[in-house]
Amino acid sequence: MRKGHRKPGVHARIALQQFKKVFLIQVVSMIVIAGVSLSYSVSAAYSSFCGGMIFLLPSYVFAWRALIAKQAKNTPGAVIAQLYTSEIWKMGLSIALFSAVFILIQPLNPFSLFSTYIWLQLVGFVAQLKLNNRFLKL
Amino acid sequence: MEMALLYIAGALMMGLGAVGAAVGIGILGGKFLEGAARQPELIPLLRTQFFIVMGLVDAVPMIGVGLGLYVLFAVA
Repeated sequence: MRKGHRKPGVHARIALQQFKKVFLIQVVSMIVIAGVSLSYSVSAAYSSFCGGMIFLLPSYVFAWRALIAKQAKNTPGAVIAQLYTSEIWKMGLSIALFSAVFILIQPLNPFSLFSTYIWLQLVGFVAQLKLNNRFLKL
Repeated sequence: MEMALLYIAGALMMGLGAVGAAVGIGILGGKFLEGAARQPELIPLLRTQFFIVMGLVDAVPMIGVGLGLYVLFAVA
């Protein structure tokens, strides 16, 4: 085991399991939306697929860096630094993917791209709140 | 003139989204530090809650950033 590389703790493993469930729901939603869009047009289908991938790839990288890759020491400063770094990676990757799709993919259907992206955010909201009962006990 | 307005609109979307995300994540980090200072034994639990809420906080600003990039790259 490398220096500074620690196994995820109990809470991190629980969060990881919840994240995997939410991620699976979002992948299935993206595939369903892309399939339904295919009946409308091919450009709508691949645009909604691109919107889903723009959401899913950065959120996977965020979870991987925050929960799996390298567990920081349990000091508040180290935890904050690790999570903020993961968030910066997520935002940077999202911006890079958005820019790449808008520049490289023509023709693009922006309605299906953004509606898939926003729908996956909403699915993530609802699934995360349903799975995490701690928020509902307040 | 229209191009300039489009660039201003895209910049406003991305800038205001960044301000919202910065305020939200800053408050979140501050509350995490407060909680960790009060009860250091809860840091692993607070860390996972921090991870979950951070994913929720940055959702809406990223939509704004995406729309701003669309205006800059595809419309303008």
